[in-house]
Amino acid sequence: MAEISEKYNTKCPGVKRLMREAMELAEATEEYCARPLEDNLFEWHFTVQGPKGTDFEGGIYHGRILLPKEYPMHPPHIILLTPNGRFEVNKKICLSISGHHPETWQPSWSIRTALLALIAFMPTPAEGTIGSLDYSPAERKILAKKSVTWACPQCGEISALLSSTAAKPITEEEKSVLNQIAFKAEEEQTAKPPEEPVVEPEPQVLESSEPTNSFLDQLTEILVALLVGAIGIFIYRRWNAHYPASETEL
Amino acid sequence: MADDASSSSGCAGNLIDNSINQDELIMKQQREIEKEISETIPLVGELEALSSLEKEYNEDPVYLLKVKDLSSKYKYIRRTRPDGNCFFRAFSYAYLEHLLTDKSEFDKFYEIAKNSKEILVALGFSQFTVEDFYETFMEVVQRVGEQAGGSPDSLESVRAELHDKFNKQGYSDYIVVYLRLVTSGQLQTENDFYQNFIEGPRTVTEFCRQEVEPMYKESDHIHIIALSNALNVGVRVKYMDRGEGSQVSKVIAHDFPEGSKPLVHLLYRPGHYDILYA
Repeated sequence: MAEISEKYNTKCPGVKRLMREAMELAEATEEYCARPLEDNLFEWHFTVQGPKGTDFEGGIYHGRILLPKEYPMHPPHIILLTPNGRFEVNKKICLSISGHHPETWQPSWSIRTALLALIAFMPTPAEGTIGSLDYSPAERKILAKKSVTWACPQCGEISALLSSTAAKPITEEEKSVLNQIAFKAEEEQTAKPPEEPVVEPEPQVLESSEPTNSFLDQLTEILVALLVGAIGIFIYRRWNAHYPASETEL
Repeated sequence: MADDASSSSGCAGNLIDNSINQDELIMKQQREIEKEISETIPLVGELEALSSLEKEYNEDPVYLLKVKDLSSKYKYIRRTRPDGNCFFRAFSYAYLEHLLTDKSEFDKFYEIAKNSKEILVALGFSQFTVEDFYETFMEVVQRVGEQAGGSPDSLESVRAELHDKFNKQGYSDYIVVYLRLVTSGQLQTENDFYQNFIEGPRTVTEFCRQEVEPMYKESDHIHIIALSNALNVGVRVKYMDRGEGSQVSKVIAHDFPEGSKPLVHLLYRPGHYDILYA
């Protein structure tokens, strides 16, 4: 912590807040643990216990938390790293309020809120939401078993990260909040548009020149055919005009 | 049976998904507009003569009449960024500015502000996040308190400091968040009373979670009533809209709480609040 306070401007509210959260979450619990990377206060790694009584029971899942520079005014993003059968791995997912009130993140929520919400959300049906996976209970149970031996290149064996201490109990306020939070991946459209115009002009030019070429070809073919036909008719008439007489003469 | 149930819930899920996608598109566009606004308009602007309003309504006789009516009572206006937080930002700026010249009001307010955190924690808000906003809020309040009632010179420098803090996103937004929490706390404490103001089937708590606590959500009467009651501060809002009838040339005023002595004067134009000065 001392190093972090030297490196960042602690007058900046986001930094002060994250240092506070790091202290709040310093001790690992049975259900979850999270801490900032040593060199970046705005990226954390977390570990959560699969919720009991679900397909994820016994599983341990690890991931990254990315905090926007506007945190806590804007919500954190979560990326799962351990295969789990509920969320795609290595894909940014974000919190939203289910139903008709998306993105009503509140600055008084915290990383703990996000982790508790993630645990609560895991057993909910995927329903085709972006970033969600709809694996069968059997597949999820296999992944849960496998997850125990999963290791993070930065944090090591994830099974060693959780402790046996129970986390602070969930308050009434938190409970009502957790029921409303949903997770899904970001719309990818936001990332794509800048790329498309760069890639597309070429094929577009090719495509647009091709149809006009073939149209011209067709037109000349028709013209040539008409011309040949016209000459043919002309010669036939001339021939008719010259030879009927000779025919009768013969 | 089971199949029926799951397929129908699947349909419902799709419907919700579609509406979310619509919402997302709208929000994306909204975010782009917000970005443009944040790049061009300061969080809280400089003091301007009220006549600057006339320029906005050069070709609008109805509004020009109203600006004229307004200018019989007010000389200056201070604009705030239209980001949905304008009521909270305008209110806190104007009130803290007033407190600089009113030491006894400051002492009264300080007691209320100091006790506000406990009320929120008792309501179940997470202690350490509430504390985070509370501390930043109180830091600014204390700076005002140190100078309240001071000499004109010292007031000038603390005014500049206040203006600077209100234009630093970090401080400014933290103050807004804290006042949103205080407003939510008041609504939830006086739950029975405020339920009457909420349209539709929402409970007070749901309303707070959706319309009060999140940033960038615009304020309505109910927000102003709750905050002015929670802090016991009189607010006068002058409503400038296209109201017809005998009052057409007048700008109607509302005092919150009713019958109080207004210390903060705000100008409301549909969707936005700015600060007014006599």
